[in-house]
Amino acid sequence: MPLPLYYFLSITAVNILMSWALYLPYRMAHLHFLVVANMAISGYTAAFMVLSLQLPFWLALLTGFLLGAIIGFVVAQFIGDAPTFAVVIVGFTFIYITRTVIENTEAVGGTMGLFGLPNIGGDPAVHRWTILAILYGLVLLVGFLIHRFDHSQLGRSASAAFIDRDLTTSLGIDIKKLGILLQTFSCMLAGGCGVLYGFIYKSFHLDYFTFHVVGILMTIIFVGGYKTLWGTVLAAPILYGGPLLFPPEIASWRIVIYGALLIFVLVLKPEGFITTRFVYRVEALLSRKGTKQSLSTNSQEDV
Amino acid sequence: MEVFIAQVINGISLGSIYVLLVTGFNLLLLVAMIIHFAYPQVVVLSMYIIWLVLGYTGNNLIIGALAGVASSILLNLISAPLFQKVMEKRGEVDINSTMVVSMGMGMIITDVLSHGFNKGHPIAFPDTLAGGDAIVRVGLISILPGQVYAFGVGVVAVSAFFWLLYKTRPGRAFRAIAEDPSGARLVGIPLLKTGLQSYALSGVLGGLIALLLAALLGSASSALGEQVAIKVIAVSIIAGLGNLIGGLVVGLSLGIVEAVVQGYISGTWSNVIAFVIMLVVILAKPNGLFGLKI
Amino acid sequence: MKKLMVFGVLVTLLLTAGLGFAQTKVAVSEWQIPFLNCLTGPLASHGSMYQWSTNRAAADINNAGGIAGKPVQVIGVDTANDPQKGTVEMARIVKESLVSLGPVPEPVIMAAMPIAVENQMLSITATTSYEYASKFFPWTVAWFPPYPKRFPPLAKAWAEQFSDMKQVIQFVEPFGPWPMMAEAHVAGLKEAGANVLKPIEVPTDAVTFGPLVVKALEQKPDGIIFACNAEKIAKMIKELKSRGWKKMDHILVFSSGDDAPLYTVGGDDINGIQVYNYVNPDIDSPRWNAFKTAFMKDHNGMTPFSLSTNYYDALFMIKEAIEKTGVAGDPSKLKEERKKIADYCANVKNFQGLMFSWDMKNGEPTNKPLFIFEIQGGKKKLVKEIKLKG
Repeated sequence: MPLPLYYFLSITAVNILMSWALYLPYRMAHLHFLVVANMAISGYTAAFMVLSLQLPFWLALLTGFLLGAIIGFVVAQFIGDAPTFAVVIVGFTFIYITRTVIENTEAVGGTMGLFGLPNIGGDPAVHRWTILAILYGLVLLVGFLIHRFDHSQLGRSASAAFIDRDLTTSLGIDIKKLGILLQTFSCMLAGGCGVLYGFIYKSFHLDYFTFHVVGILMTIIFVGGYKTLWGTVLAAPILYGGPLLFPPEIASWRIVIYGALLIFVLVLKPEGFITTRFVYRVEALLSRKGTKQSLSTNSQEDV
Repeated sequence: MEVFIAQVINGISLGSIYVLLVTGFNLLLLVAMIIHFAYPQVVVLSMYIIWLVLGYTGNNLIIGALAGVASSILLNLISAPLFQKVMEKRGEVDINSTMVVSMGMGMIITDVLSHGFNKGHPIAFPDTLAGGDAIVRVGLISILPGQVYAFGVGVVAVSAFFWLLYKTRPGRAFRAIAEDPSGARLVGIPLLKTGLQSYALSGVLGGLIALLLAALLGSASSALGEQVAIKVIAVSIIAGLGNLIGGLVVGLSLGIVEAVVQGYISGTWSNVIAFVIMLVVILAKPNGLFGLKI
Repeated sequence: MKKLMVFGVLVTLLLTAGLGFAQTKVAVSEWQIPFLNCLTGPLASHGSMYQWSTNRAAADINNAGGIAGKPVQVIGVDTANDPQKGTVEMARIVKESLVSLGPVPEPVIMAAMPIAVENQMLSITATTSYEYASKFFPWTVAWFPPYPKRFPPLAKAWAEQFSDMKQVIQFVEPFGPWPMMAEAHVAGLKEAGANVLKPIEVPTDAVTFGPLVVKALEQKPDGIIFACNAEKIAKMIKELKSRGWKKMDHILVFSSGDDAPLYTVGGDDINGIQVYNYVNPDIDSPRWNAFKTAFMKDHNGMTPFSLSTNYYDALFMIKEAIEKTGVAGDPSKLKEERKKIADYCANVKNFQGLMFSWDMKNGEPTNKPLFIFEIQGGKKKLVKEIKLKG
């Protein structure tokens, strides 16, 4: 596989997964920026485990997921049903705390960062295929889970909470439990992504996890569409890959392009490019085609 | 004791920056229901315009100040239709959308400043803007004119806008349009004229803030807006969104807390400690210490 | 005698003919050297200066006949200070490029250099510390010696100027290698007999500096070293002056702080302070004078800052490596030719840089001088030259 394609695919997968990690809590109007801190915490922990403790990658990856889930669960006990802005402050606080702790911890490289993560399987090609397999396996699995969630009672409860919390509570929905579930899952996902992100680069540096990442993820979600998971799938590769194909004179303005796109989409298409209506239409079309096919097959059998 | 007093004065100086920016932020929230996450970046852009004009006019402060105010008003008026378009669909779209639109604006402003102005280098303002040497200097205690202006204007601005918005007819008209445009129209408030006036008013404040920050800080960089934006929104949330008096108290308090932590504990941990304190407050009082005013 | 002369002439002719045939024919029509640079983002101002210097080097090389007779073109590739972009760009470059410049800055180096290492391509990271570069040897070279070698003699030399300097405090920003640089100063200060006070940590997003300066002055230092961003240093010096600090030459600014904002923001308030770096603007040589004049013309009169010459020299080092090793740019021999260039650069002897010459030993420069200057009226006046031994 060409090397540029590997990096494009792997980083796009991370962007998709991280955007979903933000998408899930946002179904309840929670901008849960804690996920960026989770990336860093789990990533650095995994790197420490592999480099200093000589533990295998798989154990480090599982630890990353688990650590993310634990942090998400504990914090969610306090902010599971908090107003949006409280959740925003929590995220910012954890990003600051994480950065400061890492800066001051020599064991994880401090301000220099961590170098020299080994290849998984001892071979660069095996490493790359393993990373891609894990990432796209996760994309399929998490995508499936989110799809099921969106079409479930839980998903409808989240949509109701997004619109009106008081009404949702009066319908007997426990907003706090729902919030805890979504935040825990998103933090777990972010933790695993953090580990994989570092193993793509084979290094960790604090500047991999800045507030800039928050901006990129927000752009992906809002431009793609924040009401369905498909918006992220469309936006992530385009927003990442597009500037790579632009001529240098245009690519140098990509942040301006992202900002303009964000504004343009929110003003003209507030739900993003992929709306729920569009998704329903596509699903209806697909299910109608499926019904027609099975009807024609049955009728042929009858004949 | 001398050190403690010096640190408190430093804290008030830092807090004045937050107060000025939070007041502008809250004003936009009250008159237009916009969560302008990029308000600090807009102010920084005005600072750059002031710097540019000062350079061309041989450091003419009056023209520079007017240019800052004019650029801030212009930016507000240009962005007004964007926000209004988003708010038109308020039934379907929540207030977070204005925050995200403003984040987009912030990204654009920061990148344009790092590309196009002074080859991306920080800009420096003439010393005359800061008003000269210290007014008071006793040992480690020092009070500069810029600090006095920033604090004074911050307090005056909060008081003035509080009086305007809550005690005068035009102020009530601004708030009415922000909360319910249809209702405002029904009672005879001219939407376009009043709306434009409200944006222009916040633009005037933005220009003044840019001038005061130029005097207080002496320089600006493309990253300055981003550096303070998170704290500004945090202060506003902790105080209570739209709460002008709350913004004043919390802004000054945050400045003092940061200064004392930097002075007595550690520079790099000051952000963490400040945010942890804010976190505890917000968990205990999710609508802010002084309550929402929107 | 006659027979001997004829024999001698024949041997000479044969040798000349052999060398002529042995000289490799260059396979490329133009040498294209990619430069992974931060042309946008928070460090765009530095990136544009590095690009300027590299383009200048390319122009100078081409005016003198090119590399092995063929022109060179530097292709600026923007990393935008973003590892996501930097990695894809490096991945594209390693497919066909013989050698590259950059990446810049450190987060992109960490993400993208493993790709260069895996593909065994030299990528010269000329503006980072030895501590970063050495992780990727032999597929890059360090432009600076390790901190423990270079900074103790420097700090000692600085402190020894002032017999009244008993206590020194450092302002340190937690960014990249800066804390390590500050730590390396300590050994030299102690050797000079100074007591090193607890450093003052400067938050990266600090906008006012009163609290930090008061904290420092409370400890009654006699000398101050700054290891922070240039703009912050300028503001802190102003703050120090406003609180009565008078001994300006007892302030030392580290090399990374010797940057344009120090002068534009500091103005007259930085007169008398001392600064150290590797660039002596007053060296009198035609090459340097031409570079300096052109730089000042294109940068509003600003003198070249400390890192601005690095990539100029890096391109010339590549030129020398190609010519001395006979590399032809033959795609079928890419791996072999890459190794030749890397090996040459790692152990080059008496490389003629823009300002001075130096040797490399296993990728580490062994005899680069350091200079301490005093700043007056925006200009640097040489105080001391410190020669470091390999």
